[in-house]
Amino acid sequence: MPPEANDDRQPPQWSGLDEYLDSDAFREAMADEFPEDAAEWTDPVTRRGFLSLMGASLALAGAAGCSPRPASGRKILPYTSQPLNMTPGVPLFFATAAPLAGYGAGVLVRSHEGRPVKVEGNPDHPSSLGGTSVFTQASVLDLYDPDRSRRPLHKGNPVSYEAAVDAVRKRLEGLKAKGGAGLRILSETVTSPTLADQLDALLKDYPEARWVQYDAVGRDNVREGTRKAFGKAVNVTYDFTKADVVLSLDADFLTVGPGQTRYGRDFAARRKVRQNKADGGTPEQMSRVYAVECMPGLVGTQADHRLPLLASHVESFARAVAAELKVGGAPAAGTLPDAAKAWVGPLAADLRAHTGKVIVIAGDHQPASLHALALAINSSLGSVGENLPVRVWAPVEARPDGKVIDLPTLVDQMAKKQVDTLLLLGGNPAYTAPVDVPFAEALKNVPVKVHVGLYDADETASLCDYHVPTTHYLEAWGDVRGHDGTTTILQPLIAPLYAAKSLHEFLVDLGGAGAREGREVVRAYWKRRFTADGRSGEFEDFWQESVRKGVVADSAAKPEAATLAGDWSANAPPPPAAPADFEVNFRPDPTLYDGRFANNGWLQELPKPVSKLTWDNAAFVSPKTAKDLNLKKWFAWTAGERGRVEVSVVELEFRGRKVKAPIWALPGHPDNAVTVHLGSGREKAGRVGNVESEPNAEGKPVRGFNAFALRDSKSPWFAGGLKVTATPDEYYLACVQGNWSMVEKDPISGTPLDRRPARRGTLDQLKSDPKFAKVPPASPGETELIDLNVPAPGDRSHGLPNKGTGVAPDNKPHDHSNKDATRHGADQEKHEGHDHRLTPLTMYNPNETLYPKLDEQQRRRWGMAIDLQACIGCNACVVACQSENNIPVVGKKEVTRGHEMHWIRIDRYYSGDPATGADLDTHFQPVACVQCEKAPCEIVCPVGATVHSADGLNDMVYNRCVGTRYCSNNCPYKVRRFNFLTFQDWATDTIKLGRNPDVSVRSRGVMEKCTYCVQRIRGAEIVAEREYARGERKDLKIMDGEVVTACQSACPTAAIVFGDLNDTASTVNRWKSEPTNYGLLAELNTMPRTSYLASLRNPNPAMPGKG
Amino acid sequence: MPQIFPKGLNPVARMVLIALPILAGSTGIGLAAFYRSSYATGIGEEVPQPVAFSHKHHAGELGIHCAYCHTSVETSHFAGIPPTQTCMNCHQQMWTGADLLEPVRKSWKENSPIAWNRVHNVPHYAYFNHSIHVAKGVGCVSCHGQIDQMNLVYQSKTLLMEWCIACHREPEKHLRPRSEVYSMTWAPKAGEKWSLADFGGSEVGADGKPNPVLSDPNFYDAEKKQFKDRPADQAGIGELLKKQYHVRDKVTLTNCSMCHR
Repeated sequence: MPPEANDDRQPPQWSGLDEYLDSDAFREAMADEFPEDAAEWTDPVTRRGFLSLMGASLALAGAAGCSPRPASGRKILPYTSQPLNMTPGVPLFFATAAPLAGYGAGVLVRSHEGRPVKVEGNPDHPSSLGGTSVFTQASVLDLYDPDRSRRPLHKGNPVSYEAAVDAVRKRLEGLKAKGGAGLRILSETVTSPTLADQLDALLKDYPEARWVQYDAVGRDNVREGTRKAFGKAVNVTYDFTKADVVLSLDADFLTVGPGQTRYGRDFAARRKVRQNKADGGTPEQMSRVYAVECMPGLVGTQADHRLPLLASHVESFARAVAAELKVGGAPAAGTLPDAAKAWVGPLAADLRAHTGKVIVIAGDHQPASLHALALAINSSLGSVGENLPVRVWAPVEARPDGKVIDLPTLVDQMAKKQVDTLLLLGGNPAYTAPVDVPFAEALKNVPVKVHVGLYDADETASLCDYHVPTTHYLEAWGDVRGHDGTTTILQPLIAPLYAAKSLHEFLVDLGGAGAREGREVVRAYWKRRFTADGRSGEFEDFWQESVRKGVVADSAAKPEAATLAGDWSANAPPPPAAPADFEVNFRPDPTLYDGRFANNGWLQELPKPVSKLTWDNAAFVSPKTAKDLNLKKWFAWTAGERGRVEVSVVELEFRGRKVKAPIWALPGHPDNAVTVHLGSGREKAGRVGNVESEPNAEGKPVRGFNAFALRDSKSPWFAGGLKVTATPDEYYLACVQGNWSMVEKDPISGTPLDRRPARRGTLDQLKSDPKFAKVPPASPGETELIDLNVPAPGDRSHGLPNKGTGVAPDNKPHDHSNKDATRHGADQEKHEGHDHRLTPLTMYNPNETLYPKLDEQQRRRWGMAIDLQACIGCNACVVACQSENNIPVVGKKEVTRGHEMHWIRIDRYYSGDPATGADLDTHFQPVACVQCEKAPCEIVCPVGATVHSADGLNDMVYNRCVGTRYCSNNCPYKVRRFNFLTFQDWATDTIKLGRNPDVSVRSRGVMEKCTYCVQRIRGAEIVAEREYARGERKDLKIMDGEVVTACQSACPTAAIVFGDLNDTASTVNRWKSEPTNYGLLAELNTMPRTSYLASLRNPNPAMPGKG
Repeated sequence: MPQIFPKGLNPVARMVLIALPILAGSTGIGLAAFYRSSYATGIGEEVPQPVAFSHKHHAGELGIHCAYCHTSVETSHFAGIPPTQTCMNCHQQMWTGADLLEPVRKSWKENSPIAWNRVHNVPHYAYFNHSIHVAKGVGCVSCHGQIDQMNLVYQSKTLLMEWCIACHREPEKHLRPRSEVYSMTWAPKAGEKWSLADFGGSEVGADGKPNPVLSDPNFYDAEKKQFKDRPADQAGIGELLKKQYHVRDKVTLTNCSMCHR
């Protein structure tokens, strides 16, 4: 009997609905290593194209044949005078911050010879603490976007920057007489102190001018709710390290939002469970998370209890909980579904039991009244205040009183021709404005429209008279504040690639007092602030320190009194009625945000965290709703989640507006609701966002459908009254969950085996059976071997008996002088014993390179551990890996053929019944090459292109690979990626600038895979050995933190550790000693160097359902 | 049916049968030889440069240290090509009007780099690191030849992978005391003493303890308080240095990912 078949300690797992239903299509798809036609070169080859290809290869052959000369004309261009502190070939890191919708997250950017290449988190910045989000990671690609605008335009014609600015300035001067009436400024949320100061000054010069801050995915409800709760504009942050119980009211604080990265770190800190005290996280301090949510989000996947609930019911639910908790002044609840009612009692009891250590957090899209209510609950449970989980601060955004109007007012004024000049400082309102606020239409009535932005051809820029290219944040000086108000001074890493100006420079030029460089503007502002804030010391020291560190000291917002306003619940709307028809939910896209990243290939191809869709959005419904809709096609009956997924197209009709959208059944979604992601369907995105040959469901050459076309200002987030009609149309989506499946067939019966790759348990289980995650034995006596299957250092024995396991009776190193003995028979046991590994249950010879005669000091054994408990599935590691390792983007069509190249993938597994969704449990598992010690790929490579290194890496030698793909066939983890076509962009100059020079750029016909960022390992080794040779270092040991893989450093929750297994003090060693540590597919005896810590849940036994 | 080939062709057919493998074999040998020929590897071929800079004059006759220009050789994978400023350090004082230096002055005036032609060229997938080789006691001359004797620089070693690997397999044949790394003429000979410069240069290590070499009887005579004589042959020096400089074993040194990433 295969070992996995009797593994009753693990619940059954399924990766998608087709696997759950075990459809024929799924079985068929499973049979092949590569999806159907994966290897076909199905690009249309025209005769002409064929000839030119032939010509090219002939020319190449000629070039190669006639001139095998090495130094064939390559040049070296040194500096004329070399900058200080820079050594050619050694990258430098600069601190800055990546702004998103006004808020910044601190980053350290790696620059190779002046080219910013890789973004890392800034450990000193409170919004990052070293972690990053997908948006931060991918922001560097935007810098090199070939579609960025390159010159100022006037009505589409190139114009000099001076001419454009002069024309606008003259216009403004003309308005001065009227006090600036008719001047309107439209921007996104602004937290930049310098920009706010400049705009303030402008508004002083033009007192009648008005400023509009519009964000499609704005935090207006949050602002309004906190204002209601505390009686004034304040900013609320949450400290998840202090919360024993977290109740999320449709809040997905791990997916988007200014604090997402920090919240992830704090959240995971209370979820990680460790037996080893050095890592913190005792089982007792694991927090409990309740999630009430509509669209399944990352918080829901991490929750101990999850309740799928319509967004319109969430407020009623919160009111019921408040009533149970006897929160004074809470408005009455409406009717609730039974499942929700059953939650209220035990949930409220648990909240009450943890008074002072509770966070109740409402989703950004939930109404202001719910935000006020959530804060009132927090307050009544004593959780708000200093050193408590919920903190109240002065607001971070710049919103000068009396000068700010909202977008509908602006559009109304524009329609009435009251606006003479409109300055658009960033944003894309022509695309993102609600349909009942016809911004693009009203823009026609504005005589002078000036657009300052990154793109000259987007929806808004193309409607404007003047366009001025603005700088990317890596090209300009500036400043920005984080979620708690901490300010970072942005410094440029590269001169603007094109004739672009920062907003600061543009506003200075507009003032006409003479041009100043961005640095001067920002510096002058901070010089004033330095004096105004009464800081001591020299300004120059303050400036240097702030810029160097990426954080302005003591710049976080000031704490505000946390007393609840008496009338916090005044004017609370009546409990919303049950929605008629379907409820529609608008959400920011987890990878495209509000559409600003529509031309970013990394983010377009990045699988959405829960649905695993790429390149498209979809209308998400529950499996039951999908069934009820009587669709012609639904993926459980078609090709399944196997790359290319044929789905039915439905027509969504909301208040008379219609769009066609492909439908996607998502387990865990509440019934009778549809969730759509904003940000897709951009018609003027660029070469990534618009491809003629890849039309959307409506036949337009855009990615996905435009959900903004449904959205109005009355219900920007959710409302009932959506009509869903099935259409006969079909559409194909690219979903990567089914690709690279580790599912195996039972050799006899042919049924798919559930190997339970993502192991999970509960806290109670951990106490009663700490080793619940270990792979069970196939035969008696094998348990110890499997326990030991995860390579462990010599000083650890897991407390297991050593009898008959091949483990040596003592821990002493053995004499290796008898070389031959290591290869044969019983002697082998003895000789591998000191390594504390099992006798190889394998027909292959032990990997000799792993047991060379080495000086112990030089011997390093690299290993990785991934904590599934801490992995929130956010995908930051995927983008980080792509950025670090020059991984190409392949496009939607190629994804549907199983060609996507991500070296690390995040598998999503469910357990539970998809039909009800209530007890559905979702787990993520990042899988990259696990660097097997007995690697199945190595023995099948005919050319030795993948071989083992002495420190345990499964080396991939691109220049040796001839592309047989045997290795991928033989890889049980399915982590090898093949360049079926020339996926790398060899043509676009700007893309070349952004590549990591330490990693080979692979071309067609080459296999590639994760190498544990070998370039970083070798780099750190060289530094260590060099320093040791110079006497600058005590020993050759490489400590934790000297080699940080790209995925590890990107992870917001610190779920990945990497290090030397021979270093007994390393974190990776401690993690691997945890009882929950297990080897993925360890039953295959591949001895993976990457191991996983099982995921844990902390359910409340009093709760209904699975408790 | 008549025979197509007359009987007289039989010997020809036999000869062809014998000749084919010989031809195939010699083609292989020929190609391998061509691959290693100086034509294909570029050995000994002077590469023209925009400025006829003579290493023989500067490094050989004037004795300017390699690292004066190649500043990052100890800190980076790239030894560094000097910025125009380095040339101008001297040449704004001397030979200020020389025609030969016109491109240098032009570069300095116009702030545009001099485009040198690359001489030593390894493939883009091979990641060679100068700093670690210098730190482990591999001399410049081992790979670059006697640069101090070259007017225009040419390649003096094949730079083929087999040549790299040969040294990675037997590094002891090429190691030299660290103080002699930049020497173009050093060879093991009797009567030379080890020096502190060969072992970190300081009597106190990073950990505050005395330099361990001072208690190593292989190198230091603790009684006489002086360094011992170096062995007079490469084999002796190589073995000692391989251990002392922690040059890694040949299995590790020939791992693919040492050079290919």
